[in-house]
Amino acid sequence: MTTTETSPNPTVTAPARKGNPWLPTLHGTFLVTRIELLRRRPSTKGWIFYGILLAAILGLGILVSVLSTAEKTSTPLELVLVLVLGAGMLIGPSLSATSINGDSGEGVLAPLQMTHLTAGDLAVGKLLSSWFVAFAVLVTTTPFLVYAYARSGWHLGELLLVLVVILFLVLTATAVGLAWSAIAARAVASVSLAHLTTGVLVIGTLVLFAFTAPLVSDTMTETDRYVAWDELSDEQSTALEDAYNTGDFSAVDPDALVCDEETYEYGIAHTERTAWMVLINPLVVIEEVSPLVNPLTFEEDGRAAPGIFANVHQMVSSARIGPTEADAQMMEYDECADIATMASGDDESADGGNAYQDTWEQQQEEQAMYPRTPWLGLGLQVLLLVGAMAIVTHRLRVPYRTLRTGTRVA
Amino acid sequence: MTVQAQAPTGHALHAQGVRRAFGSVQAVVNASLTLTPGTVTALIGPNGCGKTTLMLMLAGLLRPDGGTVEVLGHDPVTAGAVARKGIGWMPDVLGMWDSLTCTETLATFGRAYGLSKADADARAFTMLEKVHLADLAAQPARVLSRGQKQRLSLARALMGDPSVLILDEPASGLDPRSRIELRDLVRALAAEGRAVLISSHVLSELDEMVDEAVFMSKGVTLGESAEAEVARARARWRVTALPGHDVHAALSEAARDWSPVEGADASVAVVHVADADDAADLLASLVASGMRISAFGPVGSALEQAYLSIEQERR
Repeated sequence: MTTTETSPNPTVTAPARKGNPWLPTLHGTFLVTRIELLRRRPSTKGWIFYGILLAAILGLGILVSVLSTAEKTSTPLELVLVLVLGAGMLIGPSLSATSINGDSGEGVLAPLQMTHLTAGDLAVGKLLSSWFVAFAVLVTTTPFLVYAYARSGWHLGELLLVLVVILFLVLTATAVGLAWSAIAARAVASVSLAHLTTGVLVIGTLVLFAFTAPLVSDTMTETDRYVAWDELSDEQSTALEDAYNTGDFSAVDPDALVCDEETYEYGIAHTERTAWMVLINPLVVIEEVSPLVNPLTFEEDGRAAPGIFANVHQMVSSARIGPTEADAQMMEYDECADIATMASGDDESADGGNAYQDTWEQQQEEQAMYPRTPWLGLGLQVLLLVGAMAIVTHRLRVPYRTLRTGTRVA
Repeated sequence: MTVQAQAPTGHALHAQGVRRAFGSVQAVVNASLTLTPGTVTALIGPNGCGKTTLMLMLAGLLRPDGGTVEVLGHDPVTAGAVARKGIGWMPDVLGMWDSLTCTETLATFGRAYGLSKADADARAFTMLEKVHLADLAAQPARVLSRGQKQRLSLARALMGDPSVLILDEPASGLDPRSRIELRDLVRALAAEGRAVLISSHVLSELDEMVDEAVFMSKGVTLGESAEAEVARARARWRVTALPGHDVHAALSEAARDWSPVEGADASVAVVHVADADDAADLLASLVASGMRISAFGPVGSALEQAYLSIEQERR
């Protein structure tokens, strides 16, 4: 026992407090973040486990980089980025979604609410602490990331931008989990709802896009022309067969050929009206901030061949552009006209083939280089983040007006 | 209902006509109480009578549907921050951060109450000594027993140096020694000038701890009738003589207000006395009249007696 005696009223070094403040403060947010991280600190066994895990990742990273060829490819980098986003969007919400109703059930929330900490302190502190854990996942993938980046043909600025966006997406997902935790009474419900929300954004948007395609489809009429083989004379059939086999159409008289016309209807989806559904997908947001790769000139540009992201960007762009004249032209098939072109001379026949090829390549390039628009997706994420945090802060304010159904204050 | 505009000065906490419903369940119907600095007030009532709900409203964690609460002159609803600042609340749930040590827990709360790091650490140390947990200071909370957690919870409520202490069932699950320590601690806290409100089921313990009692039943606090009941219960003494001695006759002869004890013979009786002096006089006269008295003292717990008789009335 010591003889230390504190004065009954130690000076409290807090500023004068009025009303019922709720805004987060720097000191309070830091304190709550620290508490939450301290509570999750691993035991000695845990540290050993994480150490072994980290060593394994490092070793694997070194092994892969030694064994791989020098050829440029962006696929490993893209896979790592998707992995980081996926892991973050699973871990962040899993932690945050039990943070409020779990604490309340354990009886460790209300004592904190009795202190000088504001609802905002608790909300932001809990958000940041869950997010930091997801951030740690990113840090553990660094060896892979460095290796994958080295051969990806990306620039450092581009990688950093994508990483920042990934961390932001994880932050939003974590905030949504926290909001569910503030709304639902039981942890099981809030965790499920948090992952459901992520699922709706990642998979639901794609499914919805696919299912709404018929709703925005127009019916187009197309006429194809074929050679009517049944009505050709034997000589004509033989000549045409030979021409197809040899590529020499000089023996064929195109004007004498009998042609059948076939008209049919097909639907084209005006995906430019529903492309926004795809654009709010977090994976698409990541792809929309990653660098454009020109499929024709990537080698001169110092890039790797178009990888997953570039191909997805092309598909998304195609959806955003919608059906074009060129699409309609490429759909139409006129065998008789083709034969006529080819019969009229070799040069033109070559041109005819190239024209089609050129249109296709031009379209590919146009889609691949179509301007990126992450803004819709990022805008929605900002809205989700602000909305979720508003809900959390509101629900953490005391005195409580309403309680989560079937719960007690604690 | 007339609502007092201002609590009389000198009152640490004053509640008037407070009510609160959860959905269709009216948890607190009409509760009024006043806490005075330096006194310990007991909040007594059966399970589910609304004690915890009332305490939550007093602590500023739950918004009352009606009525007024004033903590040190502040309304916990409109001036929540400053009202809560004056209150130390110990919940009936034993929630602790499992992986933090006792010192860490308390120091963190000190920081949350706005203390500097050095002050928080120092106060954490003092509080651990105060609740006899100093030897477990470096242990994580998960290894603490129920009673130890309870004491840590009390220390936690004291980290903000509150003028008003609201303790929800602090004695439940404590061993006899811990209860005595708790009683001494609560008395010491009141002696420091704090107003203490304590709810408990262990009425015999409260008897020796509290200055005032507020009875609560079905969401209503019982006022003067209950106080009269406590006073009456405090004046009931039990007389036991050796077998064969007729205490009943002796008491009738002394013109005392007495009643027989069910299932006992004429050697046992319960008698009303005015005060301790009167009791001593009675004992002296009984002994003088030749009675061989083997036991003489107040009947059980006064609060328990009052509690039971009130409950009986309301059935």
